[in-house]
Amino acid sequence: MDKETLLEEKFEIDRLTILDCSKLKFYKDSANFISLDYNGESYFNVRLTRLIPFYSKTTYISVAYDNADNEFREIGVIKDMAELSEEQYKLVDEYLEYKYFMPEITKVYSIKDNNRGFIFVDIMTTAGRKTICVRDWYSNFRMLSEKLLYAADVDGNKYFCPDIEALDRKSLQILEIFV
Amino acid sequence: MNLLLSAPKGHELSEFLFSLPFNLYGKAKKVDGHLCVTRDGMDVYIDGELKEHYNFADYEEYACEQLIGCSMLVGRVDDRSQKCICAFTNDSFIAFAEVCKIINHYLTTGILVEQSDIDEPKCPKCGLPLDGYAECPYCASKIKSFSKLFKRVAPYKGVFLIAILCTVISELLNVVSPYINRILIDDYVRPQDTSHWFGFGVLCASMFVIVVINVILDWANLKASYYVSQNLGQDLRQDVFDKTLELSMSSISKKTAGDLINRVSNDANKLQSFITDNGKNAIVRVFSLVIVSVILFVMNWKLALLTIIPIPFVVLIVKRVYNVIHMYFGRSWRFSNAHSKLLHDALNGIRVVKTCGTEQAEIEKYQVASEKWAKAASKAEIVWNLIWPVSDFMLTIGNYFVIYFGSLMILQKIPAFGTLTLGELIQYTTYVGMLYNPLRWLMQLPRQLADVSVSASKVFEILEEKTDVRDDDNCVDLDIQGDIEFNHVFFGYNVYNPVLKDVTCKIEKGKMYGIVGHSGVGKSTMINLILRLYDVTQGSVTIDGVDIRRISQKSLRSQVGVVLQETYLFEGTVLDNITYAKPDATFDEIVQAAKIARAHEFITKLPDGYNTRVGNKGYTLSGGERQRIAIARAILHDPKIIILDEATASLDTETERMIQEGLNELCKGRTTIAIAHRLSTLSNADSLIVLDKGRLAETGTHDQLMRQKGVYYSLVMAQRKTTKMKAVNPPPKPVPAN
Repeated sequence: MDKETLLEEKFEIDRLTILDCSKLKFYKDSANFISLDYNGESYFNVRLTRLIPFYSKTTYISVAYDNADNEFREIGVIKDMAELSEEQYKLVDEYLEYKYFMPEITKVYSIKDNNRGFIFVDIMTTAGRKTICVRDWYSNFRMLSEKLLYAADVDGNKYFCPDIEALDRKSLQILEIFV
Repeated sequence: MNLLLSAPKGHELSEFLFSLPFNLYGKAKKVDGHLCVTRDGMDVYIDGELKEHYNFADYEEYACEQLIGCSMLVGRVDDRSQKCICAFTNDSFIAFAEVCKIINHYLTTGILVEQSDIDEPKCPKCGLPLDGYAECPYCASKIKSFSKLFKRVAPYKGVFLIAILCTVISELLNVVSPYINRILIDDYVRPQDTSHWFGFGVLCASMFVIVVINVILDWANLKASYYVSQNLGQDLRQDVFDKTLELSMSSISKKTAGDLINRVSNDANKLQSFITDNGKNAIVRVFSLVIVSVILFVMNWKLALLTIIPIPFVVLIVKRVYNVIHMYFGRSWRFSNAHSKLLHDALNGIRVVKTCGTEQAEIEKYQVASEKWAKAASKAEIVWNLIWPVSDFMLTIGNYFVIYFGSLMILQKIPAFGTLTLGELIQYTTYVGMLYNPLRWLMQLPRQLADVSVSASKVFEILEEKTDVRDDDNCVDLDIQGDIEFNHVFFGYNVYNPVLKDVTCKIEKGKMYGIVGHSGVGKSTMINLILRLYDVTQGSVTIDGVDIRRISQKSLRSQVGVVLQETYLFEGTVLDNITYAKPDATFDEIVQAAKIARAHEFITKLPDGYNTRVGNKGYTLSGGERQRIAIARAILHDPKIIILDEATASLDTETERMIQEGLNELCKGRTTIAIAHRLSTLSNADSLIVLDKGRLAETGTHDQLMRQKGVYYSLVMAQRKTTKMKAVNPPPKPVPAN
């Protein structure tokens, strides 16, 4: 292996590479996974990751793939998806919405504590009404910031409310006892 | 597990082998979808309409991939070609994973299993996760749990009976006291005639005797209760601990260490105190409730009705109020907990705080947390002080009725109720007061019963669990020579996720074998199977031609020595730790083993030599020193088979070199199986077993495999590359200022 290749590898690992959105060409392959053409290279089945999923859905998106040895390789980071073309934005956004499927809580009807570490939360979400069962609820039903509520149920499904203060008064009253 | 949950619109369940609903499709949008499996393949239905049909053979393997907020079922031809068949929220993950397992099994064996053999992951009744329990601890029959619990009192029933008798007699005497009070008031305090001093004296003496008897009874009661409680607790803890160690690794790994510790200590303690405290109280309190109620009704049934009628309503209201109070105190507790965590963080990480200069930020964070806690605590106190006096007044409201109507009866203002003397009224109100104590206790009882029944079912589940790795009736004690064979072995910790797939290989006695492969490829799993910590799912592992399931576990493990990556030192001395596997070893043997393991030198430098205390609170040994103790332990054990599972991985090269000498001595003439991430460690192995994605990729010596340029070759090359990269990594160049 020559010195140049080694340095290139080192560059990938050590530095944050911000991708030039105008050169990114994402496309769906035959199996519906996302692949990428960038700077003359083709990357099959790339992995898109929101680096700060709770704070921003469309900025700092890591684009990576696994090489033949199943090792993680990051191509770079999309700083702001807004810089992508409309069509590319749609493609990336669809993928991320799938990966981070996380219904938003829009109303809280009731919370019942079974006094054994579980709570049953009856909520309305963007994916419909549901009663979720939360285990170890001090850890799995909590505020991640002053306004952001995060909930993970026993099945591993995740829910969030970006601003609990924007909820109706009754929901807020119910929540206040538990968060 | 039921995999025939619902059929697509316009179809019947009977048309399919399995039919699972899924709720995400296309662009992560909610849909009413079904994945239906028939003998011909898989059909995907959306809103009752067939969207796709897949033949099983369309893909080489099916898998469930967990994303962040949902999961998907994918079909793979190879690593670079896969397709998402459908997606679903994570509540369906286990069911889909089970379908994958069944189809993969069909692809490898040609047998399509029609019934899933795994347990339901959730309680079908309450929906809570079962977490490895055979029966939901929250829905298990409480009567069954309690009867099992009370059966454990049997060995101490005599003493327990004494405790109950003492309490019952004491309660009966308490009922007599108000009666004496009444006679005192009516016959000696109120009347003008004061000549009957004898009677007065007898009553006073009786009261004194009652107090003395009560003290004696209390003493006897406490002693008997304490005796039963301690013995019962000890029995329970011992049984749970014995059983826990007996269980197989697959049973144990379903539970966390914390959970097991909880069962041995907390759950057993809860049962212990419940039996001796609440169990006895339940008998006594119910008894006193009945006796007092009967006395109240006999004395005046109209007043008794006035006392009792409001109780059910009041209890319902007060219970709700208690819940509100409980929630507010819970909230205060959470904030106090958050405050403690912050304090803990800031003080433990004080060096980081100081070096980053973030003192002010930490002070502000602390202030916010402290304020939140103070506010929550004061709110809880306000709620408590507002609600508690009112609710207690409501609970005892019957007493006020009695005083009001009783006074009117003394004054003969309500003839319909009859008449009453002052002494009778005081006696009556005392009894009414006695009614409220058991009542308050009864109100708390459901919560306590529920709590204890959960602990009981957790404890009894362990006690009654049958270990799945157990000795066969015809098992033999084998004098192991060291020939090991894997014959078409399939194994997975989760049945639907096989780690080893069709592994066949031979390990010859007296030789050293290295197992290599990427992380998670199944290297340690092979070792776990040789140790029979788990049983294979399919195929067999044999030692000297005997199936490992036919060798007694004690005989097997006494002839296998293991040195792991991290050596756990038990609380005790160096000597205790070396002799752990052979407690009857002579001191000469121990020193000899320590010398071979190159441990003797550092042990002699320890302050108390071989008697130096190590473990959690003892002398801290370095990683290399701990490994040498493990090697000495293994040498003393004198095993026929040696297993080195990343024995030198956490050590630096210099320490590794020193340890290697000890290891070489240990392995001489013994069958040795070594796993090492650092491939150079295995350079002296007679043969290498290379695993790739759970399958046996290749076997041979280092040179043979390098020539083959297969999986091993690429592993070596990748490792060399990393080492070189580390070596060439230059310091960053300074950027010239413009």
